[in-house]
Amino acid sequence: MTTRRIKTIAVAVLLLALGLPLLNCSRPQPGKNITLAINSGVEGDALKQAARDYESQTGVHINIAEFPYANLFEKELIDLNAHSGAYDLIMLDDPWFPKFASLDVLTDLSLLLKRRGLDKPDDDFVATSIALCRHPYQTGALYALPYVGNSQLFFYRRDLFQKHNLKEPATWDAVITAAKTISEQETTGAPGGGKIYGYVMRAAQGNAAVADFMPIFWAFGGEMFDNSGQPAVNSAEGIAALKFMIELGKYSPPGYASFNADEVGAHLLQGTAAMSINWPAWISSFGDPLKSKVIGKMEFGQLPAGKNPGRAEIGNWLIAIPRDARNADAAFEFLLWATSTEQMKMSAQRGNPPTRKSVFNDPQLVAKFPSYPAQLRSLEGSRPRPRTPLWNEIENAFGIYLSKANSGELSAEDAMNQANEEIRKIIARAGSK
Amino acid sequence: MQLTSSRLFPYVLLAPTIAVLLALSIYPLIYSVKISLQTEAGRATLGNFARLAGDQFFLSALGHTFVYASIALTIEFAIGLGLALLLDTQVRARGLFRSLLLVPMMLPPVVVGVVWRLMLNANFGALNGTLKRFGVNTESLTWTASPKLAMASVIAADVWQWTPFVFLILLAGLQAIPQEPYEAALIDGSSGWQTFRHVTLPLLMPAIVIALLLRTMDLLRVFDHIFILTEGGPGFATETLSLYIYRTAFRFSNFGYAAAMSFVLLLLTNVISAGYLRLLQAREA
Repeated sequence: MTTRRIKTIAVAVLLLALGLPLLNCSRPQPGKNITLAINSGVEGDALKQAARDYESQTGVHINIAEFPYANLFEKELIDLNAHSGAYDLIMLDDPWFPKFASLDVLTDLSLLLKRRGLDKPDDDFVATSIALCRHPYQTGALYALPYVGNSQLFFYRRDLFQKHNLKEPATWDAVITAAKTISEQETTGAPGGGKIYGYVMRAAQGNAAVADFMPIFWAFGGEMFDNSGQPAVNSAEGIAALKFMIELGKYSPPGYASFNADEVGAHLLQGTAAMSINWPAWISSFGDPLKSKVIGKMEFGQLPAGKNPGRAEIGNWLIAIPRDARNADAAFEFLLWATSTEQMKMSAQRGNPPTRKSVFNDPQLVAKFPSYPAQLRSLEGSRPRPRTPLWNEIENAFGIYLSKANSGELSAEDAMNQANEEIRKIIARAGSK
Repeated sequence: MQLTSSRLFPYVLLAPTIAVLLALSIYPLIYSVKISLQTEAGRATLGNFARLAGDQFFLSALGHTFVYASIALTIEFAIGLGLALLLDTQVRARGLFRSLLLVPMMLPPVVVGVVWRLMLNANFGALNGTLKRFGVNTESLTWTASPKLAMASVIAADVWQWTPFVFLILLAGLQAIPQEPYEAALIDGSSGWQTFRHVTLPLLMPAIVIALLLRTMDLLRVFDHIFILTEGGPGFATETLSLYIYRTAFRFSNFGYAAAMSFVLLLLTNVISAGYLRLLQAREA
């Protein structure tokens, strides 16, 4: 064999090797194969385990595409926009839902329900959770089913409240009073002899600041949009709410204007802060001796009231079927199975708050998760973030100004006026396209 | 027959590379030019570029990028040059020092971000913990959370990681300088400073320009460790252009506007790089 021929063969082999992965692209057999895009984290893990169970029960093969939270949205959006049909089911965080629904890239589930003789999802689902899955909100067509039922809770130290003769705060005024008392009295009360801060919040720009602010904003009577759909965050109520947040910040550990969930969690677990608004996902860590210095001392209550009753922000994980899914029918079978009472109990055991009332009320689960009654109450009374496809951009701008006000860079009035203007521009820009 | 196939052969070998280049570089470049000139609905527009001038977020991100790049570059260069001069001499255990100095550079920027984030944590961090031991009141030293200190904090992390890079290039430059000019200077009775000013510096110039050029390009597109350390905050205090572009593209899914901003960044980087290269060529000519 000549050298040249050897070279030619080598190149041919190389090219063939490069082409091999393409063979995998052949279409899977219909009905036997579904692909799932999930969040890597406790929510996705539960669904992943459920998928494995489903595979062994039915023989349907389930591919899992797992992405970190920060990438999941962009992966799904790009794929759905390109109509590639790569996923048959997608997990989505509820604030993303209006974007997907308004782009018309999700399958209307009511048709699939009808084919099975049902006219709507059963009433066991918590109403506020199902409302998130409809577009427009609450009233429109059904494009998803709720899988994980998170909503905010008010975390506080039962032992410190008893010690200082304080009651579970029903109003934000009571929160300030309690925060003041604890900050002043507990100057050496923390494990290790440090100070206990009365309150801890997160005011890092973006999602963190907005999530901690919304319950205060709503309780003070603020609304993000007026009746004509124009931004109204700089209303008298809105400015008063932000001033209150800054006031509360005086009892928060210094630097809270850059805190995210992990810093808030660390302060609570280390016993260096007494109250906060937080999400149920943190509850289990308080009982973990490796992480927690406050075992058995935390209580989980309802969001305090202001002028209006206290309402938590809802944050559910939904599951939807893309419009271009290759196996919508098989995907829907799995979706119904995964959100059934039986399976949601499994998911609850794996650490996810359910979206079904019967699961929240299940005696076995309540024994394991004593905060379930409080969680159900919070969820049923919760409010969603404003339902707009522009939410990511609005939340970003709003969060920047909230963070600036909390770090002392802007006054509450200036921050709200500038935020309002920025939100107005975002909406105007979207309207002109 | 023989002749044609041997002529074709190089092209066959090149083909995969060209295909990859076309698919992964050229096509995306053309595509990004296209989307920067379109509305989200696909109509042709110059709106994305027009919006830049009135976008406060863009303008302040641009400002932050320049502040960040110029301060970090100055400090990295000053320390890098000092270290290179120091370790170019017969210091004891200089081999050990040299290898130790390179460690930060080998860490992924994300890891550096996480380490600094933990160190700078106002309540539990090593830095404030140490300061407290020495009796400093750390109550107001909330590094990454203070609009005043946050920029200094992210710059410090960059300086820590990338000074070794400047040091490495300058050290290589120093070691390439022949002994003869120094001997001549010695004979002429020049002082230490004069030798440095008139012998070392001019001969080191090519290495200096290369170091500054590479660092400037990197600094202008900084992303990873700011994203981890402050995510652009508090408020907007450390948001650089790359972060804002990322947010616009992948959070707000406005790819056209993000592409337009990327081209502005590319243009600025090119202009500055061209300046450095001209400096280099002027010396060679």
